[in-house]
Amino acid sequence: MTSRSSRRFWRQVGLHAVLGPLALIWLLPLWMMLVFSTMPENGIFSPDIELLPKGQFWANFQELQAETGFLRTLFVSVVVALVTTGLSILLTSMAGWALVRYRFRGRWLVTALIFGTLTLPYFVVVIPQFIMVARDMGLQSTWFALIVPPLFNSLGVLFMRQAFSMMPGELFDAAQVEGVKEWQIFTRVALPMAKPTLAALAIILFLASWNNYLWPLLIASDPTMMTAPVALGTLIGFTRVSWAAIMTGAVLLTLPMIVVFIFLQRFFMSGITAGAVK
Amino acid sequence: MRRRTGTAYGFLAPYLLIFAVFWVWPIVYSFWLSFLATRQLPWTFRPAMTWGRLAVDPAFVNALKNTLLILVVQVPIMIALATVLAVLLNSSLLRARGLMRFAFFAPVVVGEVAYAAVFRLMFTADRGIVNKVLEAAGLPSVDWFSNPTAAMALIIMAVTWRWAGYNAIIILSGLQSIPDDVYEAATLDRVTPLRQFLFITLPLLRPVILFCVVLSVIGTMQLFTEPFLITNRGGPGGATETLGLFLYRQGFTVLNFGYASAVAYTIAALAVVISLLNLWLGRERA
Amino acid sequence: MAGVTLRGVRKAFGPLQTIHGVDLDVGDGEFVVFVGPSGCGKSTLLRMIAGLEDVTAGEIAIGGRVVNDVEPADRGTAMVFQSYALYPHMTVGQNLSFGLRMNGNPTADTERRVAEAARILQIGPLLDRRPKALSGGQRQRVAIGRAIVREPEVFLFDEPLSNLDAELRVQMRVEIARLHGELGTTMVYVTHDQTEAMTLADRIVVLRAGRVEQVGRPLDLYDDPVNQFVAGFIGSPRMNFLAAESLGGGRVRLTGQGGVEIALPVGRGLAAGQKAVLGIRPEHFEAAGQGDCDLALVVDVAEHLGATSYLYANTKAGEPVVVQAGAARSAQAGGRVAVSIPAGRAYLFDPDGLRLA
Ligand SMILES: Nc1ncnc2c1ncn2[C@@H]1O[C@H](COP(=O)(O)OP(=O)(O)O)[C@@H](O)[C@H]1O
Ligand SMILES: [Mg+2]
Repeated sequence: MTSRSSRRFWRQVGLHAVLGPLALIWLLPLWMMLVFSTMPENGIFSPDIELLPKGQFWANFQELQAETGFLRTLFVSVVVALVTTGLSILLTSMAGWALVRYRFRGRWLVTALIFGTLTLPYFVVVIPQFIMVARDMGLQSTWFALIVPPLFNSLGVLFMRQAFSMMPGELFDAAQVEGVKEWQIFTRVALPMAKPTLAALAIILFLASWNNYLWPLLIASDPTMMTAPVALGTLIGFTRVSWAAIMTGAVLLTLPMIVVFIFLQRFFMSGITAGAVK
Repeated sequence: MRRRTGTAYGFLAPYLLIFAVFWVWPIVYSFWLSFLATRQLPWTFRPAMTWGRLAVDPAFVNALKNTLLILVVQVPIMIALATVLAVLLNSSLLRARGLMRFAFFAPVVVGEVAYAAVFRLMFTADRGIVNKVLEAAGLPSVDWFSNPTAAMALIIMAVTWRWAGYNAIIILSGLQSIPDDVYEAATLDRVTPLRQFLFITLPLLRPVILFCVVLSVIGTMQLFTEPFLITNRGGPGGATETLGLFLYRQGFTVLNFGYASAVAYTIAALAVVISLLNLWLGRERA
Repeated sequence: MAGVTLRGVRKAFGPLQTIHGVDLDVGDGEFVVFVGPSGCGKSTLLRMIAGLEDVTAGEIAIGGRVVNDVEPADRGTAMVFQSYALYPHMTVGQNLSFGLRMNGNPTADTERRVAEAARILQIGPLLDRRPKALSGGQRQRVAIGRAIVREPEVFLFDEPLSNLDAELRVQMRVEIARLHGELGTTMVYVTHDQTEAMTLADRIVVLRAGRVEQVGRPLDLYDDPVNQFVAGFIGSPRMNFLAAESLGGGRVRLTGQGGVEIALPVGRGLAAGQKAVLGIRPEHFEAAGQGDCDLALVVDVAEHLGATSYLYANTKAGEPVVVQAGAARSAQAGGRVAVSIPAGRAYLFDPDGLRLA
């Protein structure tokens, strides 16, 4: 009895001795982001190790805002992320619905095409996308360019297809027999039942759009249409703006997502693991 | 179910339209582009200037080598770490589980630019916090951005920090689908925890781990933001230049679309080959 | 109100034929039950009537109108599904009215119909609950209510009771019979349970592997099955089948009994030496010596239910035989009993299962 519970005790101590320090190391970059954003510039590069926040956040942010108009880029980011998420959810859930609900000519081909792109590196399409949108369409630095090309994603279809196929088909048959139009069956029966999945998908899509870097970097170089990550990226490695100011931008980009993550962790997890279950 | 081709395509139309315009056509078009010399107008069909150049371009070979190096070193380290993390975070002995999980999973939501900025600042050679800590511990400080090996190590550390938790989440969900009674039976058979991990957990996790490996391979083949922002465009002197960065340079700095397309297809082909190789090595042996 | 007519109806899923030409007339107001083992195509047939599956060949008419190309909603049918198919995110009331609301039915009329259905099924107090908060029987009522609200000309039921426990099943069975009495609407009902079929149906359609084996009133099927399959499927416990051989001249020998002979009016057309199967229902055995042919049995298991007893026994040749007997209370497992087959109650089938007598 004693040997058993003491073995358990030492095992527990060992577990925490490994995980605890590792967790601290893992938290350090995020913590330091916060700390740096509140320091005066000379504090960051002082010879001492400073691990606690100071009170300079507002002053640092004002420098960032004055130099880059960061609020405008945040606004662009929010709009792009919201609209992209909304539209993408609509498109992918409609597509997922069609793949589950109907037998139709070309179903196999469509499915194979959509999911064939899951593992395709984005680089294969980014060059022609850029040529098409920027040169052929002349839409550089427009809302269209920021929002529409990234709308396509197979993960959403995969995710929604999974959710719809878990629902008993008789439910939709019942509505059909009752004379409910297919579009209404979709919006009034299928979508409301898929709410948890929609929430998870929305979070994942919003996060992806919010953090998207390469495409906005290429397509929206005009300062009024820059997204926040792109604007922040232009500052890194140049001395135009102080590091403390850059860090306030990093915090503003990161903190909202962290808060959402804390409160909606469940949806994040199911969003991330959705791809793993086929 | 009745055959309803019309209705089905009604629902699919908006999605397929975007798909066709912004994916299918680009995929085809970039394949065609990869045979064109695009340095001067008019573009002409000269595969020697694109595919032919790949083998003899030292910059491309350098980027390829760097990418493969990251792949071979970083992916195994990260997947091993993620597996261990998942198992430890799943332990019933763990206290402060929520906080622990938060520590490792939070990087998942952090954008590339934000974390690149922090890493760059933390690893600054002159009075960066990492070097300050190293010195305080009596160790020599490291010149993270001008020492090629250190710069590469920095990239590997950064990517591992960002993605280990992501993979741990996936592996954790795989762990939780293993029924408890398997372990209870093993405990009754006096199988030690370490052996349970080696002979029960790992084999059962194999498909999930393989999935993570494939995802990581595809991700690593496209590594761009970290060397672009953290090590200042692949520095020092191209020591951290990756295929993704090389493609970006060719495509969007030099505007040599044809050559960049050939690089893109090389990246895609490598990703497929390496992923298949992994799946083949990790296949279930009957 | 309307009848349903099927003419040469076939269904293929890809290369696989599931329904092999079904002809059937369901009269106006009639209660017809499709019965057959699972996988025989009952649901497929019903779903074709509802319009949920395309008809590969043949014609389906409802109320004299060919409906092959008519949308499910416009066929005047309502369907109750095996899984109930209640919308989980709507209250009972919303479930009942959903179809009407979506089709722009006047609100007052919708409310009247919902209230009427709730009255018939006695689910008025449940209208504000979600399906999750209902018991199985209540869910079943709501599912039926959703069909009633449509005021259809034909009700279609697909195994509506199979998810209920035994007691509720009996209760709901009575309820459905009452509903048919009250509404007088045509009903087509699918089940794999012959008891449900016997108790509910005006007429039963026995299906096997996508073909109609026999159509008839319940007792006609019981008394006069056309083949061994129907004989075995209708009646519970199922009919006993014993290997037999014709001796010519109207006599049949039970081969498993080592030469026991029985005279059946039947066998007259059979050449001597031809193989056959003799069928006898468990409830038709008589005491030894009182019938036309005695059987010696070894009892495997004896179930005494009080009013009646079931003996699960074997012949000498190991053929299983079930005997239902009110007077067999003394029989015990391992014991021997003798019973007798009255020739008038015996059936004879040829080796292909076709009824000879
Ligand atoms: N959508 C379908 N695709 C292919 N085969 C089907 C489909 N639906 C039913 N079947 C097949 O048709 C046969 C009859 O099925 P069903 O009508 O559901 O049987 P029952 O309701 O009598 O149990 C089965 O063999 C089944 O596998
Ligand atoms: Mg069925």
